[in-house]
Amino acid sequence: MKAICLILGITICLWVSGAETKGFKFPEVTGWKKSGEIQTFTPKTLYEYINGAADLYLMYEVEELKVAEYQNEKKASVIVDVYRHKTPVHAFGIYSQERPPGGNFFDIGLQGYYEKGFFNFLMGPYYVKISATDTGTQDQEVLLSFAKKAAGNLGEKGKFPPLLASFPEKRKVENSETFIAKNFLGYPFLYSAFTADYELPDKKFKLFLIERSDKKELGNMIQRYLDQTGKTGKVAVEGRHTFSDPHHGEIDLCWKGHYIWGIINLNDLALRSNYLKLFEEELKKRK
Amino acid sequence: MRRSSKKGSDKRLKARREGEEMHKKLIGRRDFMKSTLAGVGGLFFLPSSEWKHEIKIVESRGKEKKFVYRTLGKTGLKLPVINMGVMLTDNPSLIRAALDSGILLLDTAHGYMQGRNEETIGGVIKGRHRDSFYIATKIGLPQNRTTGLYLEGATTEEFLKRLDISLKRLGLDHVDILYQHGVSRKESVMYEPILKAFEQAKKAGKIRFSGVSTHSNEPEVIDAVTDSKIHDVILTAYTFKQKHYQEVKKAIARASAEGLGIVGMKAVRGAFQQQPTTQNIVASFKWILQDPNVHTVIAGFTTFEHLETDLAIMNDLTLTDQEKLELQKEASIQGLYCQGCRQCIGQCPEKLPIPDLMRAYMYTYDYRNVAHAQDLIGLLDLPNRVCEDCSFCRVKCAIDFNIPKKIRDVARLKDVPSLT
Repeated sequence: MKAICLILGITICLWVSGAETKGFKFPEVTGWKKSGEIQTFTPKTLYEYINGAADLYLMYEVEELKVAEYQNEKKASVIVDVYRHKTPVHAFGIYSQERPPGGNFFDIGLQGYYEKGFFNFLMGPYYVKISATDTGTQDQEVLLSFAKKAAGNLGEKGKFPPLLASFPEKRKVENSETFIAKNFLGYPFLYSAFTADYELPDKKFKLFLIERSDKKELGNMIQRYLDQTGKTGKVAVEGRHTFSDPHHGEIDLCWKGHYIWGIINLNDLALRSNYLKLFEEELKKRK
Repeated sequence: MRRSSKKGSDKRLKARREGEEMHKKLIGRRDFMKSTLAGVGGLFFLPSSEWKHEIKIVESRGKEKKFVYRTLGKTGLKLPVINMGVMLTDNPSLIRAALDSGILLLDTAHGYMQGRNEETIGGVIKGRHRDSFYIATKIGLPQNRTTGLYLEGATTEEFLKRLDISLKRLGLDHVDILYQHGVSRKESVMYEPILKAFEQAKKAGKIRFSGVSTHSNEPEVIDAVTDSKIHDVILTAYTFKQKHYQEVKKAIARASAEGLGIVGMKAVRGAFQQQPTTQNIVASFKWILQDPNVHTVIAGFTTFEHLETDLAIMNDLTLTDQEKLELQKEASIQGLYCQGCRQCIGQCPEKLPIPDLMRAYMYTYDYRNVAHAQDLIGLLDLPNRVCEDCSFCRVKCAIDFNIPKKIRDVARLKDVPSLT
């Protein structure tokens, strides 16, 4: 048994390291030449490149950043940043932190969006950010051609985290889903969670979902929340818990099996129950 | 004959000049040593008597809390010494809690989270009285990553366009402080298109105060800002982990004396080229705030617990002996040189002056100045055999240096013919 585990472990390690070291070729685009060497940054040196913003990327387990700069004859420049994160979920997390829900989206990679001067896209464990300077009216065209070629060099486009499919569709704000890697709701004990925004004519609220393979972890989260909100003595059991959170107001957490789901910023009790029920039904569909 | 006499006179003059030069060098080195011998070496710690601040007990989320305020230079803004760097959070409740707790300044940037950070702040401050908070944001323009100089696309128009976008995201007609983001060269401080943009933005009432933020080559940048006499505030990385923190300290002191407001950052998360970790967060904040020229620091907390911890620092800014020791220990791990905690004094049965020997070691390997090291060794009156007769070393170094190995290494200099 030990031998099987060892072989399995080695196989997984080799597979993972193979995936991590897969060479990435920066795009070749007609009319543009690379200026200077390709730069590589690690978590320790990321500050050199993006200063204070590095902290957020480190929260999302960035493992490597490769940067190439290009110039054309008119001295316009394009910079391609390829961030490789520990997992596709972490890459989605940082992408989702920066993605504007109402963005100008394109089917490049798993998903990408354009704003004047830059194009960002997500692809498996990669978050690619392309920025352009002095490209004038050609800005979008230039950025899209770089993005398409870069995506073509990165292999499989991957998938959005499957858990996102469990969020009820009713009134969900398109492209508002996020993954919070740490300190969800400002509490270290809740660790990470997926969220999505919802909008009614007079209300905006957020649904969230936490998944753990170990049910005990979820029980501990509920217990810590009970203790935190002064409900000491109450024991965490599966089911619905309503907390009067000093920072978030009234908040519902439902625990069943390997999931905790809940709602914040919604005072309407009936609506809350309705959405919690919808969420549960969606989760039941998961195998 | 006359020629040979002139030759001899020239030689004598040259020898005299060389002698004077050498004497000057020697005095320079001795003065240097005297000055470092006077201190403990390593980290500096300042007495609390130098602090100029105001203490108030304020109502903070239903509880009374001690708040320490300093004035941000010529801006006249009275700020708590702890404020919030928002860059790591998208949690509006946390930002709201920070403001409700008494924090006044929220620090963000045009580029953080691709603008989502400013939008989140905008949502929180909506409906709050404009006098109840201060907003600082930063705008960066394209720079050559290698040289730190601005590229052609870095124009006045682009800067002002980005400012307008930031104001829209924040839902404000003006920000209190606008920084030129991530400056690492003095030339970039004086970059004409950005200076023009600042001038126009101020005239239009879109910013109250202007400033520069810097994460690298800070002393040069800070000095350039001071000399420019244009800006009001400097936001700088400043931490005991910086190898050049003494230079940063000096530049900050000069800037502060000229009336510039100084905001510190990276107190906890390390500095440029360093991992974002310090072992004692409270002590790290206290260390930066012991400098009276730092008017406030921005803390990048992401939990309510950390918010409370950071605010509690204001209960007593004085570094305890234990905290000092921990900082020295951590600083030395970075630098691999003795931090002069002097815990070893009295432990050596041969009464060797260990801190001085460790300083000689630092002169040799860190400063690459063997002459300094040799001069110091010469003053120490060491025995003939140094660290060679004990079967084991009784000295317990607070940071676990292999002391006898380092001493044997550097003590060899006493047998080398004088370099001076």
